[in-house]
Amino acid sequence: MVASALYLTNGAHQYGYECLTGMAQSKGWVRRYFKAFCKGFFVAVPVAVTFLDRVACVARVEGASMQPSLNPGGSQSSDVVLLNHWKVRNFEVQRGDIVSLVSPKNPEQKIIKRVIALEGDIVKTMGHKNRYVKVPRGHIWVEGDHHGHSFDSNSFGPVSLGLLHAHATHILWPPERWQKLESVLPPERLLVQSEAE
Amino acid sequence: MLYLCIEILTAIKRNNVQMHATTFRNLGNIMPGQWWQSLHRTMLRGVLGKTFRLVGYTIQYGCIAHCAFEYVGGVVMCSGPSMEPTIQNSDVVFAENLSRHFYGIQRGDIVIAKSPSDPKSNICKRVIGLEGDKILTNSPSDFFKSHSYVPTGHVWLEGDNLQNSTDSRYYGPIPYGLIRGRIFFKIWPLSDFGFLRDSPNGHRFSDD
Repeated sequence: MVASALYLTNGAHQYGYECLTGMAQSKGWVRRYFKAFCKGFFVAVPVAVTFLDRVACVARVEGASMQPSLNPGGSQSSDVVLLNHWKVRNFEVQRGDIVSLVSPKNPEQKIIKRVIALEGDIVKTMGHKNRYVKVPRGHIWVEGDHHGHSFDSNSFGPVSLGLLHAHATHILWPPERWQKLESVLPPERLLVQSEAE
Repeated sequence: MLYLCIEILTAIKRNNVQMHATTFRNLGNIMPGQWWQSLHRTMLRGVLGKTFRLVGYTIQYGCIAHCAFEYVGGVVMCSGPSMEPTIQNSDVVFAENLSRHFYGIQRGDIVIAKSPSDPKSNICKRVIGLEGDKILTNSPSDFFKSHSYVPTGHVWLEGDNLQNSTDSRYYGPIPYGLIRGRIFFKIWPLSDFGFLRDSPNGHRFSDD
């Protein structure tokens, strides 16, 4: 009887132990999932945010100021473009690039235009208060391809390179308009005089 | 004496050689070729694993640092005399970026902005006027006062040290999009620890 009592207490002991570990395990998985979630959150969110801020992101183009290169269908179908931040990390742009920048008149908005002239170039303006403008140091002259329907440097003058946001390299949507955007100056906007040459 | 040194050195060399021989023998019955292969494999795996982990941690902490500096704030060291006496040369200050994202920059705030003529360098000035404000643009020596209005989306910056500051009186108002953050606390030197003072130049704008 003593033996059986001992056996029972042993068994109870074991049972109690299993119960405890069982409970610890059932609460443990909640803690484990919470820990894994936190770890993933703190790894994934900063990496994703840094990638979208520094490497590349996508954006939908609205408006008709870059027709016919972007949004030729007007408001029926907006193009989605790939914006490449990495290419402009040193503020290096070429004439003819399509770039997105923070609007100098409204800091909450981003505008997408083509670079016509770099610092030191003299531009013949279309609709600006001065007929010829020399682009100051650290600035660029941007214009939309659809002259007359574009809010660009002809309205607000040369923009500082610090407002540069990204370089639009490809059209991603709609699929029939998949293409790489070429950096070419429109023929009627050739420069009066450029500093580089 | 020299002969003694040479004797000791040769003895050590002999002992070393003997040690190497015993190590080789003690590895049991493994063929020497296999031993080298397994050693290379484990070393390579260990080194590669460690490298990947190091790269992973660097990327992760770099991204967290970028998010912190871009969206919350950071520590900045200022150089230049244009904000004396409020901020001296080589002072360390604390800048926060939340006001910029929520468009809460006020008149009288000291801000860090990208320089309009050189996007890679930063300037540190006080906001004198927001969009729509009327600014006195003449220097005190001019007889006739000249005004100009700050255009929409722009701010007018001036340094506290008016004699020695290149600011909006030189290059005009700058777009709001160039502002990077607002300085509100000085950390170093410790004698000047604390929140920053108001402008010593009084009000340079007319509110009418």
